[in-house]
Amino acid sequence: MSAEPSKSRPRRRLAGVVLFLLVVTALALVIVPVWLIRPFVAQTPEGLAVAFGLRRWAPPATVLILLAGLALAIAVWRSGRRGGRWGSRTLAVLALVPLLAAAGLARFNIFEKMFSPLGHASFASAADAKWVEEGDPVLAVTQGGEAAAYPIRQLAYHHIVQDVVGGVPVAATY
Amino acid sequence: MWRAEIDGRRLRFHLTGINNQNFLMADEQTGSWWQQATGEAVFGPLKGRHLDLVPYDEIGYAAWKREHPQGRVLRPDDGAPWRRFSKDWEAQTAKLPVVTPARQGDLLQPRDVVVGVRLLGMARAYPLDALQRQSPVEDVVGAVPILLVVGEDGRSVRGFERSVDGRELHLFAQPGAPLRLVDAETASTWSFAGEAVAGPLRGKRLPWVQTLKDYWFDWRTYNPETSVYSAGLTNIRRSL
Repeated sequence: MSAEPSKSRPRRRLAGVVLFLLVVTALALVIVPVWLIRPFVAQTPEGLAVAFGLRRWAPPATVLILLAGLALAIAVWRSGRRGGRWGSRTLAVLALVPLLAAAGLARFNIFEKMFSPLGHASFASAADAKWVEEGDPVLAVTQGGEAAAYPIRQLAYHHIVQDVVGGVPVAATY
Repeated sequence: MWRAEIDGRRLRFHLTGINNQNFLMADEQTGSWWQQATGEAVFGPLKGRHLDLVPYDEIGYAAWKREHPQGRVLRPDDGAPWRRFSKDWEAQTAKLPVVTPARQGDLLQPRDVVVGVRLLGMARAYPLDALQRQSPVEDVVGAVPILLVVGEDGRSVRGFERSVDGRELHLFAQPGAPLRLVDAETASTWSFAGEAVAGPLRGKRLPWVQTLKDYWFDWRTYNPETSVYSAGLTNIRRSL
């Protein structure tokens, strides 16, 4: 068994601890806001403020954390001796996976994906609207001589439909 | 139904979260978070600003089509499984848990449907059940004389200010179809659209009063000082 230089093992351990903390932080930055504003749980004003702050700073913060993690992983990789301990190099590289994931997820609006946003609103004339039944409730707007109806069954699914009626930009929400 | 504009700048919104069962939306332009129920920005650069409300109708499709035969209707998103969103989704939603607690002495259950009116800072909730039995209902909210009318489908509700040219009117239902109201002051006949179709006031329109059909718990969350129209309530609850 070859002797290791006395400095590198504690340094590698420190790097491992820091990497672990970076992973925990990056994941927290992404998970905590989603956890706070999930449905069927009461929200508090403080919880909302935290969620907003985290969501706002998570994209740049997770990138910085990823870069720091990358630098650390490279350092660990370099300090590992050829034929020596493979464990710490593997762990260092593995740590990059959640860091990458966090940096990507910080830019991903999971909430919107859950609720099927309507990318582009298109319309049919009242005469051709065969999918709506007489008794179906609609949300209707009349502006500048134009009349538009948004069947509530569709609105309740998408939650937001954006449109322009008679020159007025509207967000129909339900 | 919000005007998607602030200071002349068009805003595009994305769902961003839930705040006590009312959703939040973020605008692409500034990243501010807006509360769907109030149109107020609660976080971000535009915090404190309000979106303007666009007057809208919640009405049965048949009634809307009759009034707007040239109108346009939102097409379904064929990629989305919205058709699986069953016809009785409202009944199913009514069974979902409510996270804001009911209050001692509340006359209404959290998921009772009310029609809310907010005028000049005063808020009032009208249980839909009571409106259906008593339509048309006259009242005064924020010193404004109003009228709430339930349509022929038994579900559509409209609000109007019951005054024409500064003159307050009292309106009553006329039996028969189509739905017609008659005012005591001039005996003019009024349609569900709030327009006088016969009589001395023919052609005049009652000013629109925006109403919101909502669950009691949600209305009360955003209108904590609301009063409740309690005439004819059949399920007075004294304790929880």
